[in-house]
Amino acid sequence: MIPIEYWLIFSSLLFCIGAYGVLTRKNAIVVLMCIEIMLNSANINLVMFSSYHSVLHGVVDPSGQVFTLFSIAIAAAEVAVGLAILLSVYRRYQTIEVDKINILRW
Amino acid sequence: MEVWDMLDAFLPQLLLVLFALLMPALDYWLKDKRILAFAALIPMLGYGLALVTWTIGGHWEPPETGIPLIEVNLFSGTFALAFVAVGIIVVLSSPDYIRGERNHGEYYSLILLAVTGMTVVALATDLVVLFIGLEIAGIASFALSGFSKKERRSAEAATKYFIVGGFSSALTLFAISLFYGVSGTTDIAAMGSQMEAMFSSLEGTRSVATLATVMLIAGLGFKIAAVPFHMWAPDVYEGAPTPISGLLAAASKKMGVAAMFKIFLVGIIVTKSDWDVAIAVIAIVTMTVGNLIAISQANIKRMLAYSSIAQAGYILIVLPVGTEYAVAGGLFHVLTHAFMKSGAFMVVAALAVRGVGERLDDYKGLSRRSPFLAVAMTLFLLSLAGIPPLAGFASKFVLFSSAVYASIDPGPSWLLWLAVAGVLNSALSLYYYARVIKKMYMEKGPEERVTVPKMTGAAILIALIMTIVLGIYFDAVVELCQEAAGSLLQAVS
Repeated sequence: MIPIEYWLIFSSLLFCIGAYGVLTRKNAIVVLMCIEIMLNSANINLVMFSSYHSVLHGVVDPSGQVFTLFSIAIAAAEVAVGLAILLSVYRRYQTIEVDKINILRW
Repeated sequence: MEVWDMLDAFLPQLLLVLFALLMPALDYWLKDKRILAFAALIPMLGYGLALVTWTIGGHWEPPETGIPLIEVNLFSGTFALAFVAVGIIVVLSSPDYIRGERNHGEYYSLILLAVTGMTVVALATDLVVLFIGLEIAGIASFALSGFSKKERRSAEAATKYFIVGGFSSALTLFAISLFYGVSGTTDIAAMGSQMEAMFSSLEGTRSVATLATVMLIAGLGFKIAAVPFHMWAPDVYEGAPTPISGLLAAASKKMGVAAMFKIFLVGIIVTKSDWDVAIAVIAIVTMTVGNLIAISQANIKRMLAYSSIAQAGYILIVLPVGTEYAVAGGLFHVLTHAFMKSGAFMVVAALAVRGVGERLDDYKGLSRRSPFLAVAMTLFLLSLAGIPPLAGFASKFVLFSSAVYASIDPGPSWLLWLAVAGVLNSALSLYYYARVIKKMYMEKGPEERVTVPKMTGAAILIALIMTIVLGIYFDAVVELCQEAAGSLLQAVS
């Protein structure tokens, strides 16, 4: 079995890449993709911990895997709504660069 | 038939979803779109009546649930009541506001789904269900805030809300996955003891739990718009259709509060010493920043947005204090804030329907143009500021006094500063609320009369009556809230 640390480093790296992208990228579609990367890093965590707890306690612990199925479905729904929103933004602004969508400010 | 027995507890949610799915079909068949609003009211009124007869009347008991993932208790009942009440107020005032738009069916359908998600959060005793509820409500409200497709700022509000909401749910999910890792369970009540066992057996797990707590504060902090995670709220509330701003400020934010109460006060109460100072600081900063920035706002929706950021700061007092009385105060404030904030937004919506703008200067001389709306707005604002005998005073009183009591009896003495900050901030907030009232009553503006749109007027009247009634009969409500708080905290003891 691959040691748990490797998985944790992998998922944390993915999470950081996603968070960095959300904070720095201008294109809303890329931001959307980065959010998906962050969600997927959490999914990896859940599956990994699920199998780790199964080994640790000797009983199969499926709740993490079930959670992952739900969160994948949620992420898909979020993408669908997100792309629809970006479409309507594009119709109003003719751009999806997030720093150009800025009429609301104090 | 066993499946049906298990679904009993979910019956209200099933009804809400059923009606949500029916809405687009009804939209296709019906010529008069106002009937759609009444159809959307049916499941919410039914759920609301059931909740009232149970929580306040005590004439009826909800069925025992056989599912381990949810629990129907007074805590969930009180929160669900607040969500459903806001839902009813928002749906009632919508037909006037969205008259010129298309896709009415989808609009009501999304409101029903948002309310479903919020009540699921209120019921959840498991992190999986909690997260799903957060997302159902979140995704529905992303779409709702972009509903006015002809308006640029509505589309912009939806984009900002969607990006921030997606980021916050990713943070929340990652935090939940780490909590699952260090506790081995997703059951909120069992998390604490399992985590403690893990801390003693495996080195380093406590720091993982701390990291997860920080991420959770950030993730849910975005949801309730706590400073420094608040930047999206004013933009979204300003750009979204006004009834939806009311839904976001009065209900969607409270959903984050419900999730925080559950996770922090039940799930990870064992590590309270790690996070109580951090949340206390966030609470004080949130109320101060919210009130200070609200002073300089010229747009009433932005002002109300900053005021609701400040109110979230008041409610956050509950977490570091953590006593039963504090939770009761938090619940009470959730209830009263639901009515006074949604009421204030509905007044803005009613005026917008009649062509009155959203700038504070547009409200000059409102008392002569529409006495009812001016009186209603005044009472909502005074209640938000915490003037007796209105509801806002009673709930703030319970909230702040709980911090004072806790600073003497169980907790550290610095809890007193939370109450001090709260009282000072209430005084500060009175300044910008009173400025609106002064504009409405003292200053001269246009003279032509503003008629009140009928259904929006009904929604405002409901909110107004509840704002006054909750203030007058506060002892009964506090008693109910204390029982509800007990039902949340009994899972710990």
